[in-house]
Amino acid sequence: MPDITLTDVSKSYGTGPAAVTDLNLTVPDGSFTCLLGPSGCGKTTTLRMIAGLEHPTAGAISVGGRVLDSVERGVFVPPERREMGLVFQNYALWPHLTVARNVEFGLRVRRMPARKRAERVRQALTAMQIDWAADRYPAQLSGGQQQRVSLARMLAVDPKVLLLDEPLSNLDAQLRLEMRAELKRLHAETGQTIVFVTHDQLEAMTMATHVAVLNKGVLQQLAAPMEVYRRPANRFVGGFVGSPPMNLIELGDTRSGTEVRRQLDRLRPELLPRVAAVGVRPEAIRIAESGPADDWVFEASVGAVLPTGSSWTVSVTPTSGTDPSASAPVDGGPELYLVSYQDVAATTGARVRCRVSADDLHLFDDDGARIATAPAPAVAP
Amino acid sequence: MTAVAQPRASAWGRLRYRLSVWRREPTVLLGAVLVLILLYLVVAPLIAVLSDAGQVQYGDEEKAGAAAGSVTSFYLWRVFRSPVSQLLFWEPLVHTITVAIGVTLVAFVVGGSMAWLVSRTNVACRGFLSTALVVPYMLPSWTFALAWLSLFKNDRAGGQIGILEAWGVHTPDWLAYGAVPITICLGLHYYPFVFLLFGNALRRIDSQLEDSARILGAGRFTVLRRVTLPLMLPALSSAILLVFGRILGTFGTPYVLGLPVNYTLLSTSLFSAVRNHQQGVASVVTGVIVLIGVAVVLIDTRLVREQTRFVTVGGKGAMDRRSPLGRMRWPATGLGLGVFVVAVVVPVLVLALTTVTRTPGVFRRGNFTLKYWIAEHLDGAPGFPHGVLRGGDLYTAAFNSLRIVGIAALVCGVLGLLVGYVVVRTGGSRLSGVLRQVTFLPYLVPGIAFAAAFLSLFAVRRGPIPALYGSLALLVIVLIVTHLPYSSRSGISAMMQLGREPEEAAQVCGAGWLYRVRRVILPIQKGPLVAGVLLPFVSGLKELSIVIMLTTTGTQLLTTLSINLVDFAYSQMANAVVLVIAVVSFLATYLTQRLSRTSLASGLGG
Repeated sequence: MPDITLTDVSKSYGTGPAAVTDLNLTVPDGSFTCLLGPSGCGKTTTLRMIAGLEHPTAGAISVGGRVLDSVERGVFVPPERREMGLVFQNYALWPHLTVARNVEFGLRVRRMPARKRAERVRQALTAMQIDWAADRYPAQLSGGQQQRVSLARMLAVDPKVLLLDEPLSNLDAQLRLEMRAELKRLHAETGQTIVFVTHDQLEAMTMATHVAVLNKGVLQQLAAPMEVYRRPANRFVGGFVGSPPMNLIELGDTRSGTEVRRQLDRLRPELLPRVAAVGVRPEAIRIAESGPADDWVFEASVGAVLPTGSSWTVSVTPTSGTDPSASAPVDGGPELYLVSYQDVAATTGARVRCRVSADDLHLFDDDGARIATAPAPAVAP
Repeated sequence: MTAVAQPRASAWGRLRYRLSVWRREPTVLLGAVLVLILLYLVVAPLIAVLSDAGQVQYGDEEKAGAAAGSVTSFYLWRVFRSPVSQLLFWEPLVHTITVAIGVTLVAFVVGGSMAWLVSRTNVACRGFLSTALVVPYMLPSWTFALAWLSLFKNDRAGGQIGILEAWGVHTPDWLAYGAVPITICLGLHYYPFVFLLFGNALRRIDSQLEDSARILGAGRFTVLRRVTLPLMLPALSSAILLVFGRILGTFGTPYVLGLPVNYTLLSTSLFSAVRNHQQGVASVVTGVIVLIGVAVVLIDTRLVREQTRFVTVGGKGAMDRRSPLGRMRWPATGLGLGVFVVAVVVPVLVLALTTVTRTPGVFRRGNFTLKYWIAEHLDGAPGFPHGVLRGGDLYTAAFNSLRIVGIAALVCGVLGLLVGYVVVRTGGSRLSGVLRQVTFLPYLVPGIAFAAAFLSLFAVRRGPIPALYGSLALLVIVLIVTHLPYSSRSGISAMMQLGREPEEAAQVCGAGWLYRVRRVILPIQKGPLVAGVLLPFVSGLKELSIVIMLTTTGTQLLTTLSINLVDFAYSQMANAVVLVIAVVSFLATYLTQRLSRTSLASGLGG
């Protein structure tokens, strides 16, 4: 089982802050694992370390028990001997070689006989549906087509692991959708282990079997995509995954902070002392007059209604939850965003009643870590 | 999931790991070797020249009143305070500044106005003018000086008189020699700098900035005065400083035009100090030239940094905008063509005519002759008793020039790309930064000062390095070092543009280092490599100030041969050799631009 295992891997450049800190990560064999995080979080560095293009300052990396890097033991296997495939963000096709020659390169290096080579090149190009461009030069192809060639080039050598560095970020929206489906199909067909770097949480959600969320060089959570969405391990993950982002309400003395504290006091008094902030996904806020008794209910005034076609994003400012007649002006309570899949028949300034079911409140402590509200059936990867 | 303190890898483990990485990737090793060699070639000469300035030289023991090798301030005193300091230093300094200011003015007026005409007006023959007006820079700078003498020379100095004198028009000394002709000749050579840099800036300026001013009600001249010119200021000052820096190290023109009336610049003063074996004095003067050169470049980089604050480069706004000249269109065209005639046609024609006439300025049938080119034997010219094309001298010099400049250019091109490779591959590391800086250092030092410094370093055997004075190897090395800033910059930018990904892709595909370099890097960088060889080749061919002090009779180059002929006062033959250089360097430049599609502007390092 060629799992990719990173053990206590750290990487720093010069005297600057560490790009990656004590990363422990196991990418399961055959998984489609996504390294997700904002720019500068160390995800690309991690990928390049797996490929052998960057060298960790501490720790070890191994694939299927074969040690590729071990700073402690002085082991280093150069990238050219790691039998991996890496697709670059800008594709990195060689401009002086035709498409077929580009794909053939790795096979030539391996001294494969010419006839077999031609066959493999044809296979790889056909698999990526780009065989018609075999004799063209990369400059004559569009970004999406170059992307396919770049994938074919790596597939041709049949790598043990396929690494993808933000491969879709240079494509337009339509092509990105196509390539997402294409990559998912590829993974399903070949069962290849794929490690994929992106800053786009939607990409991670739609494609990955496992998501590793990184921030400032530190692993935040490694879990299945839905698990990351439903039970974010901390405030950062909660805020990063999901669009529009999760509403984070500090239990301070703002209007909504007071409101949510009152709610918690009613439902989970034993947890209240530990809670520092509460996260609520926009999709979890409903505009409804009635609902279950343990709902958190608050009155709010509508700021703006932003229809997107399939849904409505609404900004609301809580006014008062207990006294519906109160018309006190807003005193600095944070605006909340909610997403509704039904037409919101309200305009700016309108009063609405919002409800959030108790299960949809994510509680975070002082360190930002998640407070388990129920024995969670953890989906450990 | 927060960071937990882990036991760190032991120093021994880290070292072993690093070693095994280096073993696999020769980039770091390559970079370290490059840094060491370059540090020696760039920094050691400067140290040598500084220590020479503070040590009693052999032969000066009596004057300095101390043993050779002991520390002394004698040379400082001699250059700055002694009775001869006026002649050695202060006068040349004043002359240098005078000439530099004059040249800068000429270059600014001619280059600036021509740049404006060509890039912002509907002047006729724009295509022709934009190429033709750069030609003066393709000619060796002292071509103009020799042409000037051929026109204006009077009987004060030996050798043949100029055409005007031959026609009976007496030319006063101030017109024939010294500050005025030096300023004009250098101005004609250097105005293309301003023309190119200024024109480039004019073309890239975002016309939306000007349009906004127009829409707000400003007239055309108000826009020019309040918007365009202020935006151009940084580019302008940068061009001017560049010219100023070049004047500091220029040798040929002040030598040819200044010597007859003892009008010396710092460069010629340095040259005579070296020629008279006053090593200590030469070192002090070199130090001063280096200091001024460093100051100029530092001011320039400061201005360029400020220039980035002026965001003048626009997207769609940066389109060609040419204002119609109306009735002035043809006079303006005439002016442009006039500059070309004065700066190129007249000098070349005059030089050509002098080489085929016995008495200058007389255009009768019997007066024309080809003897200066092809005669088997010339009377009255014991130093060079045959036509230029006869005997071995020209061919030996040409062969030396091609060989030395060729090798230097080849090394430069390869070295430039290697430096670029290491800088990009080790990007962000200390090695990358050091390499960048070391290769840029020679840019601070005017070429002639560098030559003097090399003389200090290599005149004697030092450790394992033999005395190289008088050898071709020394010329090759000094040419490489002085051209290094340009070639390494173009190498760096070529490799930057490529990025590391193409090579990394090959690496991931399983290709080893040599295979990657051979199959990926070199084929992709073929174009930049050719340009990186050709550019130093072209500029090296007409190089004089750097090589003049390092050549001996055994290592004559084309350029030094022509100066030798000037020394002998064989003006026809000197002119003929300069014509040969001019033709060769013009053709080489032209071919280079055709082959590599690089513009001359990129070779200016501006």
